[in-house]
Amino acid sequence: MLSRVAERLYWTARYIERAENTARLLNAFKLLMLDLPRGVGLSWAQLIDISGGHDDFKARYRSVNERNTRLFMLADRDNPGSIISCLNMARENLRTTRDIAPSESFESVNELLMFVRRRVGAKRQGDHNYEFLSQIVQRCQAITGLLAGTMSQDAAYQFVRIGRNLERADMTTRILDVGSATLIASDAELERLEHRLWTWLLNALSAHQAYRQSVRRQVSAPVAAGYLLHDSLFPRAVLHTLGQIRACLKQLPRNGVPLRAVGRAERLVRESDLHEIFPQRFHVFIDDIQVALGDIHQAIQRTWFEPVARRPAAR
Amino acid sequence: MRIDWSQYDPGGFYDELISSPGQPRAAARVLANYLKSLSDQKLARRQRAAELAIEEMGVTFTVYSEGENIDRAWPFDIIPRVIALREWRQIEAGLQQRITALNLFIDDVYNKQRIVRDKVFPQALISSSKDYLPQCAGFSPRFGVWAHICGSDLVRDGDGTVYVLEDNLRVPSGVSYMIQNRSVAKRVFPELFRRQSILPVDDYPAALFDMLASLSPRPLDYPEIVVLTPGIYNSAYFEHAYLAQQMGAELVEGSDLVVGSDDCVYMRTIDGLQRVDVIYRRVNDDFLDPEAFREDSLLGCPGLLRAWRAGKVALANAPGCGVADDKVVYTYVPDMIRYYLDEDPILANVPSYRCEDAKQREYVLANLKDLVVKPANESGGYGMLVGPQSTAKEREKIAALVQRRPRNYIAQPALALSTAPTVVGRHLEPRHLDLRPFILSGKSTYVTAGGLTRVALRKGSLVVNSSQGGGSKDTWVLDSGGRA
Repeated sequence: MLSRVAERLYWTARYIERAENTARLLNAFKLLMLDLPRGVGLSWAQLIDISGGHDDFKARYRSVNERNTRLFMLADRDNPGSIISCLNMARENLRTTRDIAPSESFESVNELLMFVRRRVGAKRQGDHNYEFLSQIVQRCQAITGLLAGTMSQDAAYQFVRIGRNLERADMTTRILDVGSATLIASDAELERLEHRLWTWLLNALSAHQAYRQSVRRQVSAPVAAGYLLHDSLFPRAVLHTLGQIRACLKQLPRNGVPLRAVGRAERLVRESDLHEIFPQRFHVFIDDIQVALGDIHQAIQRTWFEPVARRPAAR
Repeated sequence: MRIDWSQYDPGGFYDELISSPGQPRAAARVLANYLKSLSDQKLARRQRAAELAIEEMGVTFTVYSEGENIDRAWPFDIIPRVIALREWRQIEAGLQQRITALNLFIDDVYNKQRIVRDKVFPQALISSSKDYLPQCAGFSPRFGVWAHICGSDLVRDGDGTVYVLEDNLRVPSGVSYMIQNRSVAKRVFPELFRRQSILPVDDYPAALFDMLASLSPRPLDYPEIVVLTPGIYNSAYFEHAYLAQQMGAELVEGSDLVVGSDDCVYMRTIDGLQRVDVIYRRVNDDFLDPEAFREDSLLGCPGLLRAWRAGKVALANAPGCGVADDKVVYTYVPDMIRYYLDEDPILANVPSYRCEDAKQREYVLANLKDLVVKPANESGGYGMLVGPQSTAKEREKIAALVQRRPRNYIAQPALALSTAPTVVGRHLEPRHLDLRPFILSGKSTYVTAGGLTRVALRKGSLVVNSSQGGGSKDTWVLDSGGRA
């Protein structure tokens, strides 16, 4: 399989997953804002921080408010992390792998992009925002399901799975970081709202129900964080995604370096003692995990995607 | 209301299906009678069903507009064009004869130039050709074949004569649409395929694979064949992807390939570098190899020409074969056939005037109103003057161009292109068309059964290009039994 094709499938999966996660995040954040008393030290700025678009946003928008945040994360074509940009990139990647990816996948992404463009173009969105974002989530899930249900489970599909899982791990750690920001805040009010905040974190990852079923305890910061990091069964828990990536890597050729990178990330997460880390070192710890995830991406990139610079020796 | 063939009037043009009002041609009789049995609604419904099928199958061509690429559904007319097998065999033999002579010519041009020495073909035409590549001189590819894939445009004039309008030897496209048209037609008129013996066309990808495999420099059971595409922004990207998929070949872009210090070509795969034996390239000569041709090209791969000349990889078509795809060179093809094969041409060239010749130029300039003037090196109808439809200003402009660069122009009488019934709304009306068969040359020669029929969907228009309001039809070579 061509390196370029592998790379494009990997990114297709990442972009679709990212679009879904961003829509989910916007929805969950909006609900949280409705629940929190006014004046609590949580703002839309934090949402922009999670998305990693802080500088980009500051350069182009005057004030941080709900409208601008939503515009930036949903419809801003100049923001590479916006839902519309993600879908656009996924579409372009699928267009160029038409000979490998199932043809319906291109059509579905194309339709979804058209749908989002139409709705964003239409002026009135305010009230229907929740329903609109939920539709994006559902349609992204449908595309993920389509790939799972129609692609032969060969190397091509392994790259799709790796992309999806790495993106999930990335989003989970970003959302956990919001929690860390509030943990070290001195805001007494916020401390009192810990339960509500961490319930929201779980909701943003569609993890609340699963948490209730498997943990059966009141939501508290260390327990919820532990669940989202250590659970081996929940699809968006970091350790689970790493296990998935490991399984995929095992089916690919020349997998030594990427496997070792995954191993390092797994050890870092598994061997962490959250009671020791909480609350002061939690932010740094999350940073460490993100670096480890970045290393996995680098290892994959270098092993399979990067143009081979050296010329092969004569035979 | 049903179709009444006596009301169908091609208006003096040769019609492919109807010989005179109410009278279908022999090969089209079953089709014409069948169509007569359909109500207007049924006909319109089938046309809609065909369009839906095309959308579902994702048959598109790309149009670049307003900074965005738009995939348009391939325009298709359900009424097929029918050719009797007996006539087709003649055309097929003519095409084979032509491509054989053309390949001998190209091989000669890059080597001994016997045809020049024997004064059949002027040296000046070679040295002034922008498609002659000095980098290819002194080399001869396997079997002496340069133009492995050729798409020739055929037209029929008012008296029924079939002419070759041009031979596309660079990177001809359209064959995937020919195959898709057939699969749509089978869905639309299954009864007619059951009732008649229509030659299949879907063996083309297999024939293409076999031809390409025969060029492999390594005698392997499974040579590594790739299709080299310029990428999604190319209007024929759909076709590149389709052919790669059908042949089970990799669809590669220039950046996927690398030429090693051993002069072999490799592709970058997740298993590491993998040797490539045959490249079906859909990238133009200019862009093929920045080391040999345009330095700024990002579409090709540095060193390809070197690898090709070292015999480590086959390129189809071979670089430099465009030297024979020049409208002035075209006027010499009948001479080439006589010179190389010692045969008379089976298919006629459109009578052409070479503007370089003073006498012929004088005639052309005096009769611009009745002629079609064509630049030697353009394709897709660019820079052309269609005399009967031109303004005085356009004629002045082209006259000046012809006088400044006579070698760059030829002129031909305006042909009365044949027509075929085409669905317009709920009725059938005559529309002009042409035919592009595809010819494969490797160890042996293969011609598609029929080809891609392109039809000008606008009334009276002669422009069949899909980017300019053209559509297409399925082409039936009909075996009605008896001796072909």
